[in-house]
Amino acid sequence: MTLLNALIPSLGRTPAARDENRPADLGQTVKPAYEIKETPEAFGATVYLPGVVKDGLEITAEEGQVRIIGRRAWKQPEGWTALHRESVDASFELVLEHDNAIDAGKVAAELRDGVLRVSLPKHEAIKPRKIAVN
Amino acid sequence: MRLVRYSYPSFRAVTPVFSGYQRSPWTGLETEIDRLFDSAVGTLSGASTTRFPVDLYEDANNTYVRAELPGVTREDINVEMTDGYLTIAAVRKTPATEGKPEESFSFSRAVSIADEVQTDKVAAAYENGVLTVTLPKREDAKPKKISVAVK
Repeated sequence: MTLLNALIPSLGRTPAARDENRPADLGQTVKPAYEIKETPEAFGATVYLPGVVKDGLEITAEEGQVRIIGRRAWKQPEGWTALHRESVDASFELVLEHDNAIDAGKVAAELRDGVLRVSLPKHEAIKPRKIAVN
Repeated sequence: MRLVRYSYPSFRAVTPVFSGYQRSPWTGLETEIDRLFDSAVGTLSGASTTRFPVDLYEDANNTYVRAELPGVTREDINVEMTDGYLTIAAVRKTPATEGKPEESFSFSRAVSIADEVQTDKVAAAYENGVLTVTLPKREDAKPKKISVAVK
């Protein structure tokens, strides 16, 4: 394999789909249902994460993106047999891209009853400002 | 007809195939199709659909129904058992903000339950956006060990 890589360098390249910032143990993920609202001061994201508790939640603000990972707290106990499944056991993962207009230091989040509300305040520089005309 | 002697593929002959690896001509189209699928499927599975996922489990003593209902308060969940059907109805309320009245959204789902369940002993618990309904089985429906004496 190393010889092949030496001959064809592009084979050793990581596939574009693989993300370096992603936790390795995450496995397959599903994209949760979410809504985004915008006010003059901030963006508000409502993400539906049923079965996720605070400990299983990870929010990372990176350059140009906000990543929300929710791991499910509940596991099927021993002795339970599934008769019918509609939900999946996979963790939730949502990556929201933004154009660096968000003040990452002021991101606030609240998780209640499986609904995560994240407020992403806009940077001072891009907020609309009234300019008085003399 | 021309006869060409077979030559082992050289490095130069192989590279164009793999250089295509780096950026396929379809990359732009693929992302566009992904985006379209995302937006179309996103609205289907989004929060605004009346269908919510329901799982059915079973163990030796109980049948369990788990429903994913994020963002609903306990008072707004209504679980009913009628004629072998378990009906889960819920209302999600979005509190009123300035200039916008309170919004509410109702879901309802009925699940057929086997008649081996004791309908008067159904219990429900709501935790982290997931509703778990426990339906105990009737004594005569539970698996029983029968020891047979072998003579």
